[in-house]
Parts: sequence; structure tokens; C-alpha cells
Amino acid sequence: MSAVATQTRTHTATHTATHLADIILGSLGDLLAYIGIDTSRFQRQFDQNEKAIAAWIEEGSLEEVVLECHRPGGGVKPIFEFPVTYGSNEARFVDSRAAFARYLNKVSSVPSGTTYRLFCTFNGPRSEQPGWKPGTRASTAGLHSTSMGGLGEGPHARVSGRHLS
Amino acid sequence: MKRHRKIAAAPERSAGEVWRTATALLADTLDRSAAIERAEVERTMEVAGGIGRQLVSGGHLGKKPLVLVAGEMWLEVEIVSGDAAFALTENLGPVPGAAGVSDWTLHLPQVEPLAKLVRKTAKEDEHLSADEPKAQSSEAAKSNGQTSTAGVFNEAALAAWAKER
Repeated sequence: MSAVATQTRTHTATHTATHLADIILGSLGDLLAYIGIDTSRFQRQFDQNEKAIAAWIEEGSLEEVVLECHRPGGGVKPIFEFPVTYGSNEARFVDSRAAFARYLNKVSSVPSGTTYRLFCTFNGPRSEQPGWKPGTRASTAGLHSTSMGGLGEGPHARVSGRHLS
Repeated sequence: MKRHRKIAAAPERSAGEVWRTATALLADTLDRSAAIERAEVERTMEVAGGIGRQLVSGGHLGKKPLVLVAGEMWLEVEIVSGDAAFALTENLGPVPGAAGVSDWTLHLPQVEPLAKLVRKTAKEDEHLSADEPKAQSSEAAKSNGQTSTAGVFNEAALAAWAKER
């Protein structure tokens, strides 16, 4: 008679939150670099932002992450939105970074001196996270919205992307 | 001597946690050398931490690893994400082979759209490089203070192997 040791690991909401936060932060970092915005502040605040976004996804409060590009001459464009939806049926941890990388070819660079702001919007009560405070989003009136498709998915939630230009 | 280590990223670890794990791996490895201070390794990894987190979260280090070259040691550090990370069995103990070395370089991969940032970061620390790592000959390793125990070192074969990766 022989015995076989088996190990079963459970996919938790924390795993999904870590997975999606990683995809969102990675997409933001690639976008900023691609369009030519200085990433020094993004790098300094990386851990703080990653923790906050993961915490909000885990508690199910995060509606979307928004990247606004503020041009030196005025005007806010492009804008990138990363909506999170909950209740995925996907049993695996999927990322579509290759498709996202191809989409970058459709994104134009921005004038020198353009800065960025990050916003998060919520679909209900949320926990307080360090470094984040209330703010007002720029208007998206007059901007054309293009779907960037799904960026990633886990057993509990998924994230996609929209490009407003 | 070629070595390869894999570190699990999301959904197991956030990008910040991955970078701290990579820092510990390299510091534990190079700490075996009497000529290298652990704090020096940690300083270098801190300098590279901003772009390092971007490389991790963008999924770039799953395609092109970090490469530590120290004497004859050639250590590739691959960052695994998604389902593969969930199933990964890690070996994060000190990597043998660094005891006799006196100098080391961590090669950061130039991947788009982060290549410009990688080059900028590499200029900020003497132990960082954005160049493709080149295999060292046995003579070079000896002049670097290491006693070779690996026999004949086939530089051409290693270069061909690296090209295939």
C-alpha cells in the first residue's frame, strides 16, 4: 500500500487583489514611460499605491483607477481608466500584458512637462489608505473613449482598460 | 558557472515584496565574499528599486531576467507571475559561487517601454549596468580574485546559450 501526499492551495481574494494591483501598477508604469511622463514620483510612491489599490480590490470597494495626463499648456488628455469588476468565474490568474503592449502603439506621446494625477473611484464604503485624499477628476467631455480590452483576471475580479483621447 | 533562480511575483507577492526578496537573495549570495559588504548590495538594489518595481509589475522580468555577474558566477533571476507563480517552488537560499569574488555587476534588462529609464538608473550606481552581460573568461575571473574550480570555461557556448534564452 502506498500513500501519496497532495497539497491543495486556495485562491483567496488577497491573491486576486495582489494580481490585479500588480497588473494595474505595471500598466500605469509602462504607460507613463511610453508617453514620456517623468516616473520619479510614480516610483517613489509605488509601494504605497500598490498596497492601497490591492486593499481596495480585496474589500471590493474599488470601482476604477484613473490616470490623468495634465498638459503644461492646459488641458487634460489622454486619460486612462482601469475599471475593476467583481465576481469573475475565472479559476486561473490571467494577464493580457502582451495585448496591452500592442495597444501602446496606438497611444501618442505627450508634450514635455506633462504631469500626471492618479484617482481612484469607489462603488461603496472604503478603507482609509495612506497617501490618498479626496480630489476632483478632470472632465472627460469631448474625449473619445476606446476600449483597451481586458488586462487581467483572477478568481474573484477582473480589470480592463479604457483610453480617452 | 550558470545559476538560475525564480522568484514568485503576483499573485503570491506584490512587486515591492518581490524586489525585497531579490535584494535578500543577492545580498545573501554576495555576502559570502569577504570583499563585498552586504550593505553595498542593499544600497545598489535600493537605487534600482524604482525601475525594478516597474520591471516586475510590468511582467518584463519573466521574459528577460536580471543577471548578476560576479567573477565566474552568472546568476539569472527570473520573476514568475500568474498561475506559474502560484505553483512555483522557490529556492531562495544563498547561491553558491560568490565566495571568492571581489566585484559584481547587476545587469538590468533594457525592455520597452522602460529601456530609457533602465539606462538612466544604471548610470546611478557603479554596480548596475544596462548592457547585455558578457561571459567572463577564466583568465578574467582569476584576475578578479576568484579561484576557478569549474575547469575550462566555454565562453562561446555560454554566449550562444544566452542568445537562445
